[in-house]
Parts: sequence; structure tokens; C-alpha cells
Amino acid sequence: MVKKIGLLAIVVMVSIGLSGTYGAAQQFPSKDITLVVPWAAGGGTDTIARTLVKNAKKHFGVNVNVVNRTGGLGAVGMGSVTTAAPDGYTVGVITFHLSNYRMMGLAPLSYRDYSLIQLINREGAAASVAANSKFQTLKDLIEFAKANPGVVTAGHAGAGSVQHLSLASLGLREKVKIVHVPFDGSAPARTAVVGGHVTVAVTTISEVLQLYRGKMVKVLYHEDTKRHWLYPDVPTIAEAGFPNAKIIYDWRALGAPKGVPADRLKVLIDGFKKCFDDPEFQKMAYDLGLATVYLDSKSLETFLAEMEELHRPALESVGLLKETK
Amino acid sequence: MDWNLLLLGFGKVMLNPVNLLFVFIGVTAGIIVGALPGLTATMGVALLIPFTFGLDPVQGLVMLIGLFTGGIYGACISSILIGIPGTPAGAATLLDGYAMNKKGQAGKAMGMAVIASWFGGTIGALIMTFASPQIAKVALEFGPPEFFSLAFFGLGIIITVSGRSILKGLISGIFGLMLPLIGFDPISGAPRLTFGSMELLGGITLIPVLIGLFGYSQVFQGIEKILVLPAIKTELKNLIPKLSEIKTVLSTMVKSSLFGVFIGAVPGTGTDIAAFVSYGEAKRSSKHPEKFGTGILEGVAAPESGNNACAGGAMVPMLTLGVPGDAVTAVLMGALTIHNFQPGPMLFKDHPEVVYPIFAAMILAQFVMLFVGLGGARFFARLINIDRRILTPIIFLLCVVGSYAMRFSFFDVGISLVIGIIAYFMNYYGYPGSPVLLAIILGPMVEQNLRRSLVISHGDPTIFFTRPISAAFIFIGIFIIITSYYRVKKAMDREAPSSSAQEKAESN
Repeated sequence: MVKKIGLLAIVVMVSIGLSGTYGAAQQFPSKDITLVVPWAAGGGTDTIARTLVKNAKKHFGVNVNVVNRTGGLGAVGMGSVTTAAPDGYTVGVITFHLSNYRMMGLAPLSYRDYSLIQLINREGAAASVAANSKFQTLKDLIEFAKANPGVVTAGHAGAGSVQHLSLASLGLREKVKIVHVPFDGSAPARTAVVGGHVTVAVTTISEVLQLYRGKMVKVLYHEDTKRHWLYPDVPTIAEAGFPNAKIIYDWRALGAPKGVPADRLKVLIDGFKKCFDDPEFQKMAYDLGLATVYLDSKSLETFLAEMEELHRPALESVGLLKETK
Repeated sequence: MDWNLLLLGFGKVMLNPVNLLFVFIGVTAGIIVGALPGLTATMGVALLIPFTFGLDPVQGLVMLIGLFTGGIYGACISSILIGIPGTPAGAATLLDGYAMNKKGQAGKAMGMAVIASWFGGTIGALIMTFASPQIAKVALEFGPPEFFSLAFFGLGIIITVSGRSILKGLISGIFGLMLPLIGFDPISGAPRLTFGSMELLGGITLIPVLIGLFGYSQVFQGIEKILVLPAIKTELKNLIPKLSEIKTVLSTMVKSSLFGVFIGAVPGTGTDIAAFVSYGEAKRSSKHPEKFGTGILEGVAAPESGNNACAGGAMVPMLTLGVPGDAVTAVLMGALTIHNFQPGPMLFKDHPEVVYPIFAAMILAQFVMLFVGLGGARFFARLINIDRRILTPIIFLLCVVGSYAMRFSFFDVGISLVIGIIAYFMNYYGYPGSPVLLAIILGPMVEQNLRRSLVISHGDPTIFFTRPISAAFIFIGIFIIITSYYRVKKAMDREAPSSSAQEKAESN
């Protein structure tokens, strides 16, 4: 009896094993894919990720489930993807912070630890003042700041954030002394500017959409090469009179663990491209003011390498460069 | 406020039985999620978002609103029944709720909690419906100095939740203030006390600490006495408190609800703080502060009406300004955004067809919660009659799962075990757990806003006194600290002869 059961178990196990390998070789994906989001549910990155994979079933044949693995300033979630099994069933959203971890001495992680899939969106910073502020243009603000060093206070999303670095680089270029007030995220920073607690708030452009449309803030500039479709009267940084050739972008992209078999990686790349091109996703990004930009794996790598080079001097200027070789 | 639109909103939710069903599902799911230690309304809402994709947006949203409402109430069930708050919002209810349970009055405590939750929740929802634009203005008045002063005022509550020794309460509080120092500091950009650990970079989060402080320490104590603990006979008959009893706590409920709405409306402060502030103020202004903590109705009514009222308040800045009032509304904001209704000043103008059903659902959810809560209380209360030898291991398992589930992190399981062992010994030597929790919630708020304010003022501390709201909170805070110190101390001295006998009874 015992023998029989043992034999049966072996047969069952072998057949499961065989069918498993066969199934996998023939068809990928054969089960749901996990998309790790390194930031909390409800936040900007989470919202984008969830919308991106809303219709995944149509494009992959299986669902892509979002899992929020938060903590460590995104490093826990992003790190977990690099160490996940490279079977193609775990994919992660990577964000701006990945360019900082090594240089700020926070975590030994960079874009080099991933098989990159694609870029999802990128956007520049924007500076807003309260609707009743005496400053009408960026020139007003900079001139005032030059005449009164240390009087202008600028709220941003926290030390090392894209908002922080963009502001620091502007200050460096124009040699003005602006008091940086780091908040814990963009939401409190933009509320503080509406409430009059700081002179100016630096956020990414899409983060002030509702306040801009509600005429609670004036947006002084948008750091990009062309105007934004939802902010027709907001000048680019060059139009505002302070051209900057080296724009630091906030970005979101997709990456898989290193070592995913090439054929599976191709399925992922094609599938996510279809999710990205899905009209529902594009419409939502358009309405939210998110500039979706597709870069394939190769160009994404070049882009991220460029970003790291721009971060280094910016981080150094605010005393956050602690690069470990 | 547009009456027609509100009526339409009610019509939209109530006339379609399917919508009502979704509110019901949301509330019930919320109560269950809230009652399970470690699973929070925040997580429940996040988990349900994908299920709302296929639904009509309004249906999805009313379900999430129901879950929010149920989740806050649900936390008190485990507080009362097993002495472990289901979420931080229920931690203040533990103080008197669990004490009532020990006296065999779990049923009554549950009944009171449901009624207080309904009362507070309804006031919160009504204020949100009728005064959103006005309340949003108050939220804007809060800059870094005001946040600092509000948190300072909140820390004053430590005195009233300290239990028998104020000194030991303060020591616990300082321990609690030190924990959030660990992790990435958004102001300087430096990792603090992380010893190179990626996991510690994110800091020590609230849920694992909550589970350690109350869950594991409770389990360890339970194991200690597993064979000698006498079974508690729970009175299940008088579930609904008598009208005369409700009358005695009515003024407490009104006051707590108003506190709750206010605290909710201030961005970044949530239901947990609302519950503690309501409890602290009820105790401080009570004629018999010494009775708090021994199991009285007011001690359950105050935090429960406070935290449920907070929900309505927290929705206000989220809907009107796009700034979430607390963690749950942050996730709700994401849900609204995914359905293409981005919260902010334009939401009321662009999408009244969504805003008013949200108001209606919030009010309705309170009533659904009242019925589900009262119906379920009898069933839940029966759970404590389960043999401790079976219940304790189950609770242990729930603690492990709860601490893991928040971030899918074994690291958090470890953190909560370590905190649990510390808490066990703290308990043994009479150091209360609540001040630790309160300090962890308020610590980062105090620290960051102190530094932020001083950056703005170029290091000049008078910024806290020259701004009226900030100054008011500092002075009220100092007043409350002093008066509660004397009142609590006096009451305890009065109690002193009988307290030693009671302590003995409790330690059995």
C-alpha cells in the first residue's frame, strides 16, 4: 500500500513537473504576472501602474497584479525585483529615486541591476506661487531673491527629490540664495504654498494640475523643452528667461530582474508596449497631464545614464553626494 | 451646498438596490478587515480598488467609502474582545473597552462602541457634506509651525493615557519618540541609525509596532497564565446601553465628534490621533478621571465617536484640495484618480455627479454600520468565550500575518516580535504601551515641523508664538498638560488606598 502510494506520488510529481516545463516552454505567460510598485497604494506611481495594467488581460492573456512593496524610500520594492526569480513573472516599476540611491549612499542599487523594459513617463519640475502672490513671473522672483538673499522660501518634496535638485540647480545657475523647505512629499508642499506658508512650491508639473485649474496657484515655469498641453499659459524655463540645457526629469519606467530568458523578455516588452499604447491608459495620462514617453530598452539605458550624470553635480551642490565606489 | 444635487446623490445611491448592496458589502468587509490585527482600512481599500474597475465608478466608490467607515469601527472589536487594537484607530478604545471586558461587560462595551461610532460618524459625515469649503479654509491655515504646535498639544495626552504612574508614562513616551528617528530623514536627506540596512531606511512603521506593543505582549502574557486564567463570563444580554446611560455620555460624544472632525480636516493627522485626543480630553475634563481605565462607558464612547467623526473630516481636504487628510483618504484619492476624477478644487465643479453620491454614501454607511455592528456584536462577543488555549495561538498567528501583510515584509515580522518582547517586560514593570504608540504617531510630525519651521524663520523660535493658531495650540497644550497632571494625580491619590487591591485583582 505504502509502495503504491509512493509510486503514485512519483508519477504525479513527474507528470506535474513535465507539464510545468512543457507549458512554460510553449507558452509564456501561463499565470498572472506580478508588478511590484515600490510606493504606497494611492500615490502617483501606484495610480499610473494600476491604470497601465488595467487592461493587461487583453494584451497578455493573463492579469498583471500590482503589489505595493513600500519602504526604504522605494529601495525595498525596487531591490526586491532585482533579487526575484528571473522567470518573467515578476516585473517592477522603477522611479527617479533609483538614480540617487548609490550617489546618496542609501542603497547599492541602480538601473544596471535590471533588464530594462521601457520608459513610461517623464516630466520636468514646475514652480508655483499662491494666486495672490506679488510675483507674476520667474524673473520677478529671481530678482527679488537676488536683492533679498534668504527671504524667499521654497517648499519641495524632500531632500534629493527631483523638485529639490531642479530648484538647487536653478539657484546655482543664477547665484541666488533661496531657503529650501523640504516637506515629506509634494502634497504638503503645494498646500503650504496655497496657505501662504512658503513663497514658492516646486513640484512636478502634473502635481499642481488641480490647483492650477482651480486658480489657486500661478505656475511660473515648467522645466521642459516645450509647453505643456494642459498649461497653455505657463512658459517653459527657457521662455521664462532662464534656459537650462540639462533638465533633470522625474521618470517612471519598467524593469525585470537580470537573467530573464530573451524570449520571455520579448513577450514582456511587447505586452507592456501594448498596455502603454492602450487608448484608455493614454487618455488617462493625457487628462492627468502626465507626459507619456516611450523609450525602448536601449534608449532607456542611455537616458538613465544621462540622468545619473546630471544628478551628480546637483546632489553635490546641496551636499548630498556620498557616492561609494 | 446644492440641495438638489445632494438629493440626486442620495437618489443615485439609495434608489438602486445594487448600490446599497455595495455599501453593505463595503461596511461588512471593513469591519472584518478592521477587526483583524494588522489589517487596516487603508489596506482593505487598496486591495479592493482593482475590483472597482469593472463597476460603475459610483458603485465602486460607495463600496470603498463603506469599507473606510466599517474599518474604523471594526478596530474596536478586537480592542474590546482580546485587548489588541485591530488598527491604530482602536488603540485608545482598548484602555476602557478591554477593562469592561475583564469586568464581564464586553457586550455592553461593544454596544456602546457601535452607537458612539455611528454618532461620531454621522456628525462627521454631515459636517463634511454641509461645510466642506469652510473646513478646507481651516486646513490651509496649517503651516509647519501650526503642525508642530498641534503635535505638541497631542503629545500632552501622554499624561492622561499613562495609567498609574505619570513618570513611567513619560518614559514610555520618550522611548516611543526615539523609534521614528530611525530611517531616511526627508529634511536632511541622510539615513539615520540604519546601519546600512535597506529595510531600516524606510523606518519603523506603525503597524508592526502596534502589533508588537499590544498583540505579542498580550499573547506572551496569555501564555504565562494560560492554565490558571479563569474563564470570563460575558454578559451578552444588555448589548444596547440603556437610554439613561447614553444620556450620560452624550456630551462626551458631541465634544469628541467635533474634535474628531477637526483633527481629520487637518492634513496628515488621522483617526488614531483623533481617538487619543478625544479620550484624553474626556478624561481630563471628567469629574472622575480616576475611573477612566477601569472600564467605563465614557472611555469607550469618547475615542469611538472621535475616530469615526475623523473620517468625515479627513475627506474634506482630500476632496477640496487634493491633500489627503490621512492614510485611508490617500488611497481613496488614488481610487478617484484611477476612475478619472482627480480630487482638488475643480472636482466639485467638474464632477458633482460623483461628489454628491460620496456624501450620500458616507451618511448612509453610518447607518449600515449601526445595523451590521449591532447585529454582529452578539456574534463577535461570543468569540471571547473560546478556550484561551485555542484562542491564544490563533491570535499569535494573526499577529504574524498582520505584521507581514502591511508591506509583505518578514523584516516587519521581526520588528514586531522584538517590540513585543520589549512590551512584555514593559508591561511587567508597569510601563504603559499607549504613550509609545502616541509618540510614534506624533514623533515625526513634531520633529519634522519643528525643523521646517525653524528653517523658515531662520532659527528664530518665536515663530511658534507670533502665529495665532500655533500660539493657541501651544498654550492650550501647556494648560492641558498642567491641569491633567494635577487632576489625574489628585484623583489617583484619592484612589491610592483602594488601587493596590485592584491591581491585585487585575494581575490575576
